[in-house]
Amino acid sequence: MLNVGKVNVPVCHGVTRRGFLQVGATGLTGLSLPNLLNLERAGAVEPARARIRNCITIFLVGSPGHLDTWDMKPDAPAEVRGKFRPIRTSVPGIQICEHFPLMARMMHKVALIRSLHYRTGATHENGQRWMMTAHDFNADSVKPHSGSVISRVFGPRSELPPNVILPGPIGNTGAGPLHGQTSGYLGSAHEPFFLNADPAQANFRVADLEVPSGQSGTRLDARHRLLAQIDDLQRRTDSRTTQMHDSAYHRAFRLLTSARARAAFDLSREPDRLRDRYGRNTFGQSCLLARRLIEGGVRYVTVNHFDTVFNLSCWDMHADGGGLNNTYLDYERHLCPQFDWGFTALIEDLEQKGLLQDTVVAVLSEFGRTPRLNARGGRDHYPDAWTNFLCGANIRGGQAIGSTDRIGSRPHNFPIEPPQVLASIYHGMGIDLDNTMMPGPGDRPIRLVEAEPIRQLFA
Amino acid sequence: MEQRYEGNPRAEIRLDGRRVTRGDVTHDWGLRLQWEVRRNGQVIATPNARLDSSYQHPDTVPGRYEIVLQMWKYIDYRKRPDGEFIASRFIDISNKVSYTI
Repeated sequence: MLNVGKVNVPVCHGVTRRGFLQVGATGLTGLSLPNLLNLERAGAVEPARARIRNCITIFLVGSPGHLDTWDMKPDAPAEVRGKFRPIRTSVPGIQICEHFPLMARMMHKVALIRSLHYRTGATHENGQRWMMTAHDFNADSVKPHSGSVISRVFGPRSELPPNVILPGPIGNTGAGPLHGQTSGYLGSAHEPFFLNADPAQANFRVADLEVPSGQSGTRLDARHRLLAQIDDLQRRTDSRTTQMHDSAYHRAFRLLTSARARAAFDLSREPDRLRDRYGRNTFGQSCLLARRLIEGGVRYVTVNHFDTVFNLSCWDMHADGGGLNNTYLDYERHLCPQFDWGFTALIEDLEQKGLLQDTVVAVLSEFGRTPRLNARGGRDHYPDAWTNFLCGANIRGGQAIGSTDRIGSRPHNFPIEPPQVLASIYHGMGIDLDNTMMPGPGDRPIRLVEAEPIRQLFA
Repeated sequence: MEQRYEGNPRAEIRLDGRRVTRGDVTHDWGLRLQWEVRRNGQVIATPNARLDSSYQHPDTVPGRYEIVLQMWKYIDYRKRPDGEFIASRFIDISNKVSYTI
């Protein structure tokens, strides 16, 4: 159920105090500016208060071990501390892995969250849902991706979709198809736009931006005119006269015919030197594309570092000798350098273009990894403790929020649960979490996020 | 979907005394960049080359030293029973320089 102001909550000026996010039973596919205006009138959103206007989430599918990356324990026993050494950073007292030397130089911009944890099953999918929807699995109510929430609240800013996922959806990570990257109950109009292409490919093109073969420009215009006539008829018979339809069809048409949208996806417009700086790989070029899309008006971009954990080099360091045979060598030669190069390029580039001041970059993952190395020298899934981090906008960099015990097995102080991270991003984007609701069990409205923002994150 | 790595990385290095300096890497894959240092044909060090464009190997043991810039070339994740990669490997991406102590 998607509805604004439908629930009758009496207030003194006649406008509902709470903006409910519910998809209507008629299949209303989405609202744009009028919904934002209604939410603003209800006091649920205050864009003027927002210091975060855009979000880029880098999702480290597979999940790096915290003890080998950003929460190292050099004084722990060898079977805990692992093979890598910590190095000093630009922040006295904060050390990170030796294989992130460029990130170490910009730690004053980064806020580490070292005490993340959750108590449900240690599957990739659970962690993905927790970190990208702020909710646990519920088959009766699929919760929306955070970018879909932002799309629903703020609508599009340009012809580009408000919520884009690069380079494509997460696929098989072992335990089911629900990865927290759909619009869920918000409906198709807020479904993320999946690139479904590899921006590192030499002949990179976005299929969804090309007119299907056999469809001339004339035919496309004729179909669009017919659609507009149908929409006009609907508006005249619709009892909600203040609402404007901005259906998924209109958005698709705008995307298809917009020169600006095509330009935003055109990486050939970037100088070779910059493309090299991000790294000529799928991850690096996706980060570069994310910057271009934010510039072009996309509000929320997610970069999936991988789309699976099987049969490729990725963060899922089980060292199992089979399809999950990632080891320290993968981290040292491939994963850490690739991330260090691409992430720091993104931050530098955003800053150079004046975008970092209102763009938060959130580096998230599913869980940590077991404090003790397994029998093959790898680490397994461990949601009891891990580290993610944010930078940009009004995030106060140069800090480590929370800590773990001496072997990284659990939060030692200031334990933080995944919903608090998204609560922080929503709060920073001007959403009043006390007054923005969503449908709960039996359609009873519940808070958008059952958590409070992490106040220490903000300057 | 495997990560795709486009192009072939390349850089020029030059030697000044015992100090080697590299230029920018073109078509940079963004993977581990390292100096390979050999003495009398044997690899003696592989320090990281990302952070600083210049490096001087500290050893002064007599011998013929040869240095080249390398990058990790990822083919796939498969490994031998001893844990080393089967197909993925470091490749030379620069000219070689040498000096004798």
